[in-house]
Amino acid sequence: MTALIVNNLVKRYGDFTAVSDLSFEVPKGSIYGFLGPNGAGKTTTIRMILDIVKPSSGEITILGASTAMDVRNRIGYLPEEKGLYKKMKAWAVIAYFARLKGMNSNTAKSRAYELLERYGLGDFANAKVETLSKGMAQKVQVLASIAHNPDFVILDEPFSGLDPSNQQVMEQVISDLNSDGTTIIFSTHIMSHAERICDRILLIASAKKVFDGTVQQAKDLLPPRVRVSGDFSAEQLCVLPSVNSCYLDEDELLSVDIADGCSPQRLMSECFTAQLSLESFEFRQPDLHDVFLHLVGEEAKVATLR
Amino acid sequence: MNNSFIIAGREYADNARTKGFWINLLMFPIILVAMIKIPQFLEEKAIPTRDYILIDQSMELGEVVELAIERQYAAKVAEALGVYYLENAKGGAISEIDLEQMPSGGLESMMDDFLEQDPSALDSLLEPGAIDTAVAMMKFGLVDDAPEFELPRRPFARVSVPTSIISTSELVDINSDEIIARLRPYLLGDKFLTADENKLFAVIIIPPSAPTQIKRGPAGMVQQFDEKLGVQFWARNLADMKLSRSIASALNEHLHTNEYLRLGVNPEIVSEVKSTRLLFTSFDPSKDVGEEKVSMADTIRQFAPLGFVYLMWIAIFTVVNMLLNNTIEEKSNRIIEVLLSSATPWEIMSGKLLGIAGVGATMMSGWVLSMVGLLMYMAGPQVEWAATLLEVLSNSGLLPLFGLYFLAGYLTYSGLFLAIGSLCNTIKDAQNFMGTATVILMVPLMTMVFVARDPNGTLAQVLTWIPLYTPFVMMNRAAADPPAFDMWGSAILMLVTIVTMLWISSRIFRIGILRTGQPPKLVELFKSVMTSLKNQ
Repeated sequence: MTALIVNNLVKRYGDFTAVSDLSFEVPKGSIYGFLGPNGAGKTTTIRMILDIVKPSSGEITILGASTAMDVRNRIGYLPEEKGLYKKMKAWAVIAYFARLKGMNSNTAKSRAYELLERYGLGDFANAKVETLSKGMAQKVQVLASIAHNPDFVILDEPFSGLDPSNQQVMEQVISDLNSDGTTIIFSTHIMSHAERICDRILLIASAKKVFDGTVQQAKDLLPPRVRVSGDFSAEQLCVLPSVNSCYLDEDELLSVDIADGCSPQRLMSECFTAQLSLESFEFRQPDLHDVFLHLVGEEAKVATLR
Repeated sequence: MNNSFIIAGREYADNARTKGFWINLLMFPIILVAMIKIPQFLEEKAIPTRDYILIDQSMELGEVVELAIERQYAAKVAEALGVYYLENAKGGAISEIDLEQMPSGGLESMMDDFLEQDPSALDSLLEPGAIDTAVAMMKFGLVDDAPEFELPRRPFARVSVPTSIISTSELVDINSDEIIARLRPYLLGDKFLTADENKLFAVIIIPPSAPTQIKRGPAGMVQQFDEKLGVQFWARNLADMKLSRSIASALNEHLHTNEYLRLGVNPEIVSEVKSTRLLFTSFDPSKDVGEEKVSMADTIRQFAPLGFVYLMWIAIFTVVNMLLNNTIEEKSNRIIEVLLSSATPWEIMSGKLLGIAGVGATMMSGWVLSMVGLLMYMAGPQVEWAATLLEVLSNSGLLPLFGLYFLAGYLTYSGLFLAIGSLCNTIKDAQNFMGTATVILMVPLMTMVFVARDPNGTLAQVLTWIPLYTPFVMMNRAAADPPAFDMWGSAILMLVTIVTMLWISSRIFRIGILRTGQPPKLVELFKSVMTSLKNQ
């Protein structure tokens, strides 16, 4: 079962191409991460999925419908830039957006109180939004986007602006939703969240798809990473047969790119043979952060500078 | 469509729940009352009784001056008596209609004379005990628990010169310069004549030569006079001219009587002649035969639209500003994105229009109701116009027209402001547009008096066909029965304008609402509207 199919999606603003020929599928009940540097086209893609912005070309099938407007009551959306009506009370905001999604007003009200209670904002249900802290307001907004029990939730940067404990609450919200069978797309550039939560990820850079697949598949793109330290120089290490290249990374450790067909074990024995005195030898699977930098590193910098 | 109503409901609650809205609603009747009551109150209470000194060396004109001041007071008493009667009469008389139904004929005509300030009725009040007699006469027509009649305060009181300043023997022939020299500190407020420190308001000196200082010939003819020989009015406060004016006119009247006598004309015949008038009546050709006479109601009916135009203008621009602010808030908060994922732009727009229209309707009905309530409360002798205005409002059919033109004006401008709001990210951005907009929008207000004066003239005709002004101008002209062509033509024009306006602004709204950064230039905007048309 597929919750969302995106086919050859293109969006142009005049000469500028925001999204170029993007295709992917989101399985029903999965948590799907949208990753990519700033300005890559994540938000534009999300807006097109929601039918807020019309695509220049391409097709979108969401929950079996050709436009999100037809199934909008089954979709929840948290936009990237957060904001609420300042003069409204917390519960009223949540109930209002739930009613816009077709919930009747009594159910919406009790649902709003229930959600605020469950996620630790029970005491603030009757507080005006303008009196809430930024983090609290953001939680209220997240709750507003899911109050109507949607089948499909799109969260644009749900973690930004939250402190670590609230980020945890956010992760809790996402996993609660997922355990109810809700399909979730969320965009982020905090890789650790994506790695912990996502079943699948889509990586976009400069309007184009760079990667689409499971987190494991993404990690398999990079060879295992070895980092060493000791009383020797990078040059001494680089001459070893197993070493393709090496460099001093941000932690002042030598990060080694192992040559094809070689293993960390072999590198370690070569080190002993060459009598390099090792202080540490670290071998680990690459994480999404590495994959991200590997895949979009250069473009990300360009995009940030633009 | 359901979403439109949900959005409208929120929009209404959001604006109607603010303190400002209710203050605005409550302030209107309060200001209305204040505008009527405060001057009255000031007249009654704030201006103290003013002391004056009258030194008459002519032994002739002093009496005249005093009589003039007494007459002025009598007029005040007469008015107070009339009001007192109307307020306490049996059957809660609130207008003169009730007066005419009163059986006691003598009383009725006396009250009429008082209220109309008939000179002979006023003179009769000057006689000693006359006021008490009048009050006693009234008693029969009053309700049992009527309060005692309170004499109004005297505006002016004569004080005599203390003999310590000018002795009685000096008084007869002391030079006016000398009088002023001695009284100057009192006039300037540096010294006081009485223990309660009431300032001396004026000193009137009538030198022996005063009765012969007569100016003759046309105004502007050069004549040599020594002003010090005539009647002198000394006062520091030059703004309050009541006293000086009434003294001057009483003196002149006295002079005229003397002149008639000198020329051998009977002054009584003169006053008889003066009281004759040729019959002159205004008629309105558009009214039914037999009812063409122009009444006060007709005059009010002619000018009532002015009030409506003003009310409409204020109401429309109050509410469209709400619309503008809400739209900008939603845009700058990016709430609009969530809305757009839940509702179509059209639903959002119509919801907002509907909700704010509700706010406007609440405001207008609040105003109109409080105005009508006030008019009913106040309707009495002093404010005869209030009763008439009330009658005009309920009978003229202006009220429903007002409702219609308000709606038309609102829809025309709301589209415009919604479009502006959707293009701006901050109130500051919007203010750039607003500057130009305000100049254009001032036109109906600035021209409203001229249009009312000539409701079917060229200016009115031209403005009628400028779509942005049509609702205001047609309201302005409503009382003058504009030609059918103008009525229906402008109705069609308004309809077309509203549809076009809303259609264009829904386009701009769609484009603008997700836009960030600088508001677009006009050319750019036009292009994007055209593009969005092609894409349709």
